[in-house]
Amino acid sequence: MTDLIVSLLAAFAAWTGWRVFRVDSMVRASFSLMLSFVAVGGIGVVLSAPYIGIATIFMMAVEMMVMAIFMVMFMMNPAGLNPMVMVHQHRISIAAGLLAATGLGVAILSTPLPSNPVPAEAPVVAQLGHELLGPSMLIFETAGVTLLATMIGAVILSSRRGRFGAADEGARPPGLDPGGPPAGRRPESGGGHHHHGGHS
Amino acid sequence: MIAGLVLAVLATLAFGALLAVALDGRLAILAAQGARQRVETEAPDRLNRDLAPAWYLALAAIGLSVVPFAEGAALIDSPVGIVVWGSCEALIVVTVFLHGWSPNAPFPLIGAYRYAAIGLPVLLPSMFVLIAAALPAESLSFVAIVDSQRELWNVIRQPLGLPLFCIVALALTLRGPMDYADAADIATGTSAEESGPARVLWDIARAAMLVSVSAIAATVFLGGPLGPVLPGPVWLWLKIAGLMALFVLGGRRIARTTPSRMLSILWVILLPLSFLHLAISGVLAL
Repeated sequence: MTDLIVSLLAAFAAWTGWRVFRVDSMVRASFSLMLSFVAVGGIGVVLSAPYIGIATIFMMAVEMMVMAIFMVMFMMNPAGLNPMVMVHQHRISIAAGLLAATGLGVAILSTPLPSNPVPAEAPVVAQLGHELLGPSMLIFETAGVTLLATMIGAVILSSRRGRFGAADEGARPPGLDPGGPPAGRRPESGGGHHHHGGHS
Repeated sequence: MIAGLVLAVLATLAFGALLAVALDGRLAILAAQGARQRVETEAPDRLNRDLAPAWYLALAAIGLSVVPFAEGAALIDSPVGIVVWGSCEALIVVTVFLHGWSPNAPFPLIGAYRYAAIGLPVLLPSMFVLIAAALPAESLSFVAIVDSQRELWNVIRQPLGLPLFCIVALALTLRGPMDYADAADIATGTSAEESGPARVLWDIARAAMLVSVSAIAATVFLGGPLGPVLPGPVWLWLKIAGLMALFVLGGRRIARTTPSRMLSILWVILLPLSFLHLAISGVLAL
């Protein structure tokens, strides 16, 4: 039974992973990837790792939501509904894909994997907690604090409001031709003195 | 036992959604809406447009199924119930975004982006509040959290918890001050291009989500099925109905501010406040 569920989830994960490169929009690609990770999280739950499995689903839902927004922003494809091709640099990517798949496949097949099923009543979540806040504490706390600092930094850097006024004050879009006049609307008369003050 | 719990979840969801629609005074509007024609937009993403209301309803059902209806009896008695509900919250943001993105039209898309920007920072206080409730229980399971409130409900032990969770509840059910997805100022946002049965299903899913969020809040802060004289499920239903009325009232009475100001409030005030709440709860639980 477990084997069947794991195989089905693995097949779904592989199929949605493949869809990431076949769909024609960044939003569809992001959420196909999310479905792939949700299936992987489901495998974790079936294999008696409920915390890791469900936390994977939680994190990937948040992460892919953020990724979809950023992808649409950077692709200059306003709604993410304009058809676009998801693949490029075909030869290099085919070579890299084959190399990675072969390498990982050989590594998995040549590793003697343990086979000792977890007893149903084992307190797996508590054991994971003791591991994370015991022997592996230094690694996880270092990674956690680094990620938190990165997040706060990213939020501050992307904020429009700042100590010295709005981030886009006086900014002009680049010209449509090299050296041409700025595209879009021009700021009126350039000076900053009759702008609204900051809200706080 | 399991059949009874399945029945309890489904009946709570159905009657609760009916109560939510009635509290909103929208029964007649929904009935009339169901008879309308469907609107077609140009080049929509049909799959996501048709599936979004079903996802929303399914997430409400999953959220309700981790709630214990009597002491120690939840349909999905997961050792990591809080994380299951957290995943539901994250997937709600994705679902509402897809609901607005898929019609390929301006107002739904604006609603979708606004909601994603507000919904993601709302998840952070939500997680801190739920983790704070897990501290005295020493477990991530909702059954253990109910058990930890036998002497004192979390609403008194952790006074900041329920007010912070109210904001999360309003955001997840697209209501009042936190409704940046389907608000009137952008012509009902993600639902602007939707009419007929699909619109009715979306509104029913919103109502069902109100039941689910209220059930989680009742379990985490009001002791869930704990209470004298009456049996457990009746206490849970009473608490759910009370919280639903509170959220409906809050959604009606509190004004909505601009998304940019709400973002500042979320990051600068509510996030540090929820940190503080977690720290105080942690010290008290030691």
